[in-house]
Amino acid sequence: MIKMIETDILVIGAGPAGSTAAKHAAMAGSSVILMDKKSEIGSPKRCAEGVSKEGLKKLEIEPSERWVTKELSGVRMVSPNGTAVNLTEDKVKLPEAGYILERKVFDKYMAMDAGRAGAKIMIKTLATGMKREDDQMVVTAERMGEEFQIKAKIVIAADGPESRVGRWAGLRTSLKPKDMESCAQFEMAGVEMEEPDCIEFHFGSVSPGGYAWIFPKGDDIANVGLGVLTTMTDKSAYEHLLEFVENNPATKNAQAVELNIGGDPVGGLLKKKVTDNVLVTGDAASMVNPLTGGGIISGMLGGRIAGQVAAQAVMEGDYSEKGLGIYEELCERELGKSFEKYLKAKDYLLSLSDEELDQIAEVFKDSDFETINTAEMVRKLVKISPKALLKLGKLF
Amino acid sequence: MIVKEWCMYCGECAGVCPRNLIEVREISLNFNKEECKDCRICVKACPVQALEKGDD
Repeated sequence: MIKMIETDILVIGAGPAGSTAAKHAAMAGSSVILMDKKSEIGSPKRCAEGVSKEGLKKLEIEPSERWVTKELSGVRMVSPNGTAVNLTEDKVKLPEAGYILERKVFDKYMAMDAGRAGAKIMIKTLATGMKREDDQMVVTAERMGEEFQIKAKIVIAADGPESRVGRWAGLRTSLKPKDMESCAQFEMAGVEMEEPDCIEFHFGSVSPGGYAWIFPKGDDIANVGLGVLTTMTDKSAYEHLLEFVENNPATKNAQAVELNIGGDPVGGLLKKKVTDNVLVTGDAASMVNPLTGGGIISGMLGGRIAGQVAAQAVMEGDYSEKGLGIYEELCERELGKSFEKYLKAKDYLLSLSDEELDQIAEVFKDSDFETINTAEMVRKLVKISPKALLKLGKLF
Repeated sequence: MIVKEWCMYCGECAGVCPRNLIEVREISLNFNKEECKDCRICVKACPVQALEKGDD
């Protein structure tokens, strides 16, 4: 007979969103299991590791030297012909300045926090199926050759952009290729950055449908990566990355010590994130800024809401779609509205030719900025580009 | 589907499979070949070209 474990809430996926959901559900008094298919939480990393200070503050997480590798003091944006716009802390206010993390450590720490709050952590545990039984969910799982079942009142699917849990529950978490950035990144040593305290973005045909980045991690180390839309190129993300590294002055002499790849869901918040007994959060619910591709903070904000809503539902004994429906509303308020704007900004950015990007950079590099954040950048853009005014004027 | 040995199990293929036929384990990929309609969206999505449609 297959072993059965019972819990109030099962969180599948121990990335930042899943761990945050588990932590907040446990803090609110629910019994929680947090499971992850990997043998090491946080490894391999799949992202450029940037977070804003404001985001961590909002989540009430104190930065730790154990997982912060670099504090940033600005942004450098480079157009296709190499025109650079440097926005550094000494020139402008940077409310969205932030840190570069060591995700392999950060993710583990977030899971440890969930454990300390009372969640039971199960690593190397893969969910292989799910069915509804007596008003609860029964998830079949495998760990080190052992098959068992977990019966939960609520399942939180935090299993990344490849989410199957949401689909088992009947939600449409599958993404169209136009909504999924295909990403490749090297962690490199020997990187010679012009502004080693700034994150660097490269726009245009260097990375069709996305952008390339160089995120410093201290000394001569940096994450060097890019995301492409496979609908806009015949080459793979990896091929584009090799070209970028070879042609960029900062990286042409650098050496890779790690390769990371993965999909980044940039199509805007998943419309339906709730069904009876199931909530979807993090990358699985496309909680990623469609313009920047950043999803650590937004995923954790979504995870916090998921954990709190699930725990409340357990207390009230109502796990129905209707009972959990407040999750949609809270996510929309926290993330959805801004994502809609950024989605439009992304569409605009993708409509620009290399020449247009060069022209914008030329104007930007001599402009004065009082403060810099994504919305401010778009507002500035609207003033100098008729096309931007047409597409974005009413939004920002 | 042929999975090349350099596959890194990132799961992007599973995320774009319209029929939910790909299971990503820590170091393996499982395809439900019987249900596959040969759309090749997964082949195109792979960041490192590790998937190839084989002769059935």
